[in-house]
Amino acid sequence: MAFHTIGKSELRRDLPEKLTGQAKYTSDVQLPGMLFGKILRSPLPHALIRSVDTTSGLKLQGVHSVVTPFDAPPGQIAPDMPILDTEVRYVGDEIAALAAEDEDLAETALRLIQVQLEPLPFVIDAADALKNGAPKARLDGNLVGGKPLTLARGSIEEGFAQADQIFEDTFSTPAQAGAALEPRAAVALWVGEELTVWKSTRGVHADQLALSLALDIPRKNIRIIGQNMGAGYGTKDETRLAAITALLSRRAGRPVKIELTRQEEFVAGRHRHGTSTKVRIGVKNDGTLTAIHATTIMDTGAYLSSGPGVIRRAGQGALYLYKCANVQYDGYLVYTNTPSGGSYRALGAPQGHFALESLVDTIAESLGMDPLAFRLKNHVHKEGQPGERVTPKGNIVDTQPVEGGIPFSSNGLKDCLEMGAKAIDWDYPSKQSEFSELRRGKGVSMFIYRGGTGGRSIARMRLGSDGDIHLITGLMDVGEGSLTVISQIAAEELGVSYQKIRTTFGDSAITPEAPITAGSTATFSTGTATKKVASKLKERIVKVASELLEANPCDLLVTNDGIENHQHPDQGVTFAEIVGSVGEIELEVAVSPGSPDHIINSFGAHFAEVEVDITSGRVTVLRYVAAHDSGRILNPKLAINQIEGGVSQMLGFTLSEQMLIDNRSGVTLNASFMEYKSPTIHDYPDLQVLFANVIDPIGPFGAKALGEPPSIGVAPAIANAIYNAIGIRYRDLPMSPDRILTAITDQKDLKK
Amino acid sequence: MKPFKFEHAKTINQASETHLRETPNASFISGGTDILGEIKEGNIEANTLISLVGLPNMSEVSTLSETLEVGALVTLSRIASDKSVLDYYPVLSQAAMSVAIPQIRNVGTLGGNLCQRPRCWYYRNTSFHCLKKGGNECFAYAQGNKYHAILGSDECYVVHPSDIAVALLALDAIVCISSSAGTKDIPIGEFYVPPETNVLVETVLKPGEFISKVKIPKPAAVSKSIYVKIKERQGYDFALTSVAVSVSLEDGTIEKARVALGGVAPIPYLVPHVDSALIGKSVSDLDAHTIGQLAVQGAKPLSENQYKIQLTASTVARAVAELFE
Repeated sequence: MAFHTIGKSELRRDLPEKLTGQAKYTSDVQLPGMLFGKILRSPLPHALIRSVDTTSGLKLQGVHSVVTPFDAPPGQIAPDMPILDTEVRYVGDEIAALAAEDEDLAETALRLIQVQLEPLPFVIDAADALKNGAPKARLDGNLVGGKPLTLARGSIEEGFAQADQIFEDTFSTPAQAGAALEPRAAVALWVGEELTVWKSTRGVHADQLALSLALDIPRKNIRIIGQNMGAGYGTKDETRLAAITALLSRRAGRPVKIELTRQEEFVAGRHRHGTSTKVRIGVKNDGTLTAIHATTIMDTGAYLSSGPGVIRRAGQGALYLYKCANVQYDGYLVYTNTPSGGSYRALGAPQGHFALESLVDTIAESLGMDPLAFRLKNHVHKEGQPGERVTPKGNIVDTQPVEGGIPFSSNGLKDCLEMGAKAIDWDYPSKQSEFSELRRGKGVSMFIYRGGTGGRSIARMRLGSDGDIHLITGLMDVGEGSLTVISQIAAEELGVSYQKIRTTFGDSAITPEAPITAGSTATFSTGTATKKVASKLKERIVKVASELLEANPCDLLVTNDGIENHQHPDQGVTFAEIVGSVGEIELEVAVSPGSPDHIINSFGAHFAEVEVDITSGRVTVLRYVAAHDSGRILNPKLAINQIEGGVSQMLGFTLSEQMLIDNRSGVTLNASFMEYKSPTIHDYPDLQVLFANVIDPIGPFGAKALGEPPSIGVAPAIANAIYNAIGIRYRDLPMSPDRILTAITDQKDLKK
Repeated sequence: MKPFKFEHAKTINQASETHLRETPNASFISGGTDILGEIKEGNIEANTLISLVGLPNMSEVSTLSETLEVGALVTLSRIASDKSVLDYYPVLSQAAMSVAIPQIRNVGTLGGNLCQRPRCWYYRNTSFHCLKKGGNECFAYAQGNKYHAILGSDECYVVHPSDIAVALLALDAIVCISSSAGTKDIPIGEFYVPPETNVLVETVLKPGEFISKVKIPKPAAVSKSIYVKIKERQGYDFALTSVAVSVSLEDGTIEKARVALGGVAPIPYLVPHVDSALIGKSVSDLDAHTIGQLAVQGAKPLSENQYKIQLTASTVARAVAELFE
C-alpha cells in the first residue's frame, strides 16, 4: 500500500518558529504585573524545620508573597511529598519560597529568611541505606515498600541446578542528570477560583490532576498550558514547582514566574537513578540458558517520583530479552538523602541492560562463542517466552509481562542483529591503528523495551467553518516531534496533505484528555486515537458529499480541498461547501490501546567500534551502528534524530557523566555544565541508523515505540567494545579516563 | 545575581585607586568569563567591578627586537591566531586554542586567563568553607579529589586552571604589573604563589595591582615548543593534565629547555630536573618515556587521582616525542 505522507520525512511542524527564535518557552511568558519567585533550599541533607521566620524578607519593598511549610495547604503533590514539608530530605529540598518585583530582589529577600533546622541522621549511599541500623533517609524507612519487587517465571533454583556453568558479576551505574538545556519553569496566575499555569511539562492533564489534589480545588478550575520544551527526556515529571508558584500567585494576587537556575535544575531537577545490579546466569556448555537472576539496588533519592516504574523496567532485560524458562528479578528501591531520581529516557532499562549485556559477553567468551552468535542463538523470538500465560484470556496483555506463553505482535530482534553486524563488518576484527598505544575493538548489545500502547487517549478532529481540518489532542510534544508524526497519521487517514492539518496540543482547557508523553507511547496511544477519529471524519465527510453530489460514496475521493468524484472528475464539493451545507463537523474518539493476544515491544541491536588510548585512558567511539525495530517508521528523519539524540546522550552516561554527591555533607559537587561532563559535538561518533523491515500488525500504520529505545544499548555495546580492544571488563560507569587508566595500570598483561 | 557597581576605568591610576579604595569587595574585570560566574554563584562578594577594557595600550600584540609584548586585554582568540605567536611560540597559540569554546576565547583575555581562580568544586561551592576561603580544612584531601593536585602541595589541593600560564611558564615570560605606584616586571615563575606561602591567593598581585602586559623573550634561532592538553571530554574542558615544552637547539643538541605542567598542582608547575635531563642531550638520544617518568617524580596522589601520575608521565612523553618528531 502506498502512502502519501506516512514514511516521509515531513519537516517538523515547530521548525520555522524554532529556527527563527519565535518559539515560546515557559520563560518567555510575560504577564502584566508578573512577579518573580525564588525558592529557599535546604543546606542540610536531612533535617526537621523548627521554624521559618519570613518577617525581614517580607518587609522589603516589592516582596509580595511567601509560602512556608507552616502556612502551605496540607495537600500532597505526590504520595510521599507534601507541597512543602517540615522535614527536608536532601541538600536542595524546598523549604520556602517568595515572590517579588524582580529576581534580584527575590534573591535578596530570600537571604533574609531565618530558618531553624534540627539536623537528622542522613544516608547518601543506597547500599549503606539498606544496612541494618542505617540512618533513616526519611522518618518512615529506607526500603520502599519494606520489601523488594520480585518478579519470576519458572524456578531459578531448578534452572541453576540444570546449568553446566554459572556466571555472576556486579555492575554499577551512576546518577545521570537530565541536563535539559531549559531549566524547569512555571508561571501561575490565580484569579478568584481559577488557576492558570504555563509550564514545561510532559502532560498537561497529569499536572492538572496533581495540582487539583494538592491544592484541593476542582480540576475544572485549573488550566495547564504546555509550552515548548527545551527538553526534558522524561525528567520534567514533577509538579511541586507549579504548586509553589500557584500559591505565591494566590497570595500576591498577581501572576508569578519561577525559573530554576542551572544549579537548581541539576539538584532539584530529576535524574536517572543510580544502580548496582548483580546478575547471575546459568548455561549449558552448548550455550543454552537455564536460569537468569538479576538483583538491582536502585537509589531513588529523597522522593519516590517515578521510582516504582523505573525499578520495574530495570528488570525487563533479565526477564525477557533471552529465551529462558527460569528467570527472576529482585528490585530494591531505596530512599537516600540525595536529589530525587525521575523518569529519564528508558527509565531503568539502560541500567539493567548494561549489567545483563556485559555479563553475556563474558559468558560467550568463556564458552568460546562469538558474542553475536551467542545472542542469535538465545534471543527471544516472536513466539515469546516459554511458560504458561497467566493473564486471563481476553484481558489486555501488559507490555512488560513476566509470564511466558504470549507471543509478540512483531519481533525484529534477529533482523537488527544481522543488519547491524553487516554494517559494522562484525566478521572482521577491527583494523588496528599504526600507533601501538591506540587499541581498537568492536562490541555488540541488544535490547528489548516495553512502551507502545500507553494510557487512555482521546483525539478530536474538526472540519471547521473555514473548511480547515483541525486536530485537537491533549498530548504534549516534548521536543521529540509527536506533533508532526500525529499530524501525519491524521493526514494519511483522512487523505489530505500533511500541511493541511491544523493542530492544537497540550492545553488542558481546550484539548481532550491525553496521557503523559512518556514511556515511548505517544505515537501509539494518541496516534491510534487520531487514526480512528480521522477515519470516522473521512467517513462522515464522504457521506455528506455523496448526498450533496448524489453520488455513490465508493466513487468519492478526499483531496486537499474537498471531495472529488473519480467517475466524474468535474463533480466535486469543497470542504467549505460541506461545512456551509451541514455546519462544522467535530468528532472525538477515545482509545485504550493494547492487545489481548500479543505483547507489543520494541527491539534493537547496537554495535560500537572504539579506540582506547592506553596512555591517556581516552575512549573514542569511532563508529556506531544502531539497528532498531520500532515497527514502521512514520517519519524517517525524525526517527533518525531520535536515535542520534539517544545515542549521544548515553555516550555521556557511558563515558563521562555522573552526579557526584559529597557523602559528608550531601552537597552535589558538580551541579554545572562545566563540572558535569556531558559530551559535546566533538565527542560524537560516526553514527549509522538502521531500521528493521517490520510492520507491526497492531500499532498505528504498523508503528511501535521509538523514543526511549535508542538509549538502552549504548553502554553495554561500548563496554563490550572496550573489552574487545584491551581485554579489560569495566563494571562501573562512567568509563572515564581515570578509571580506564587505573585499570590499565593495574592490569599486568594487557591484550596485545 | 547580587547587584554590583560597575566602574569603567579610563586610566591606570583611576583603576588602581578605585580598587585600592574598595578592597576587599572590589574586583577587576575584562572579559568577565570567570569573575561573573564567581559572583553569580555567590562565591565572592564584589560590590564593585572595575572594568579595564577602556585602558590604553593594553590591547596590542607588538613585536620588539628582543621580545614579543602581548597586552593583558588581548583576547585568547587573537593570541591563538596571531601570526607572530603562531610562527615563534606555537606552545602559546596551542594553549590559547585549547581554552574552552570560541565564545569564551572571543571575550576572555590574557590577563583574565592568568588571574582566574581555581576550579576546585569545594572552593567553588558556597557550602564548603575551605582553606582557600579562610577555613580550616581542605575537603579534597580525603575524597572527591579526582581532579585535584598530585604535585606542589601539602595542604590545599586545587589545581590552577590556566592553560596560557603553563605555556608562558615554559617560555619564561615576564609579567608586567601596573598600579598607581608604577609598573614592575616579574618573571612568570615568581608571579604565582604556592599555598604554603599564602593559601588565599594564587598570585603576587596586591590590592590596586593588575597585569598590563606580558613580555615573551625572543626565541633562539632554532627553537621548538608544544602544548599538549588532556581533557575528559573533547569540547570545553579544563585540563586533567597539560604539558608545555619549549626548547632551543643547536646542531641537534638541546641547548635550553623548559617544561611546565598544568592541571596537576595549585600553580602552574615547573619541573627543573626535567629541564636538566633534556639540556645537552642530542635529539636522537632522547628517551621520551624516561623523561615522562622523571616529570612525575615526587608526585603524591590523593585517594582518587592516582591516575594523574601515569597520565602526566605519558603526556610529557607524548609532548617530547611529538616535539622532535
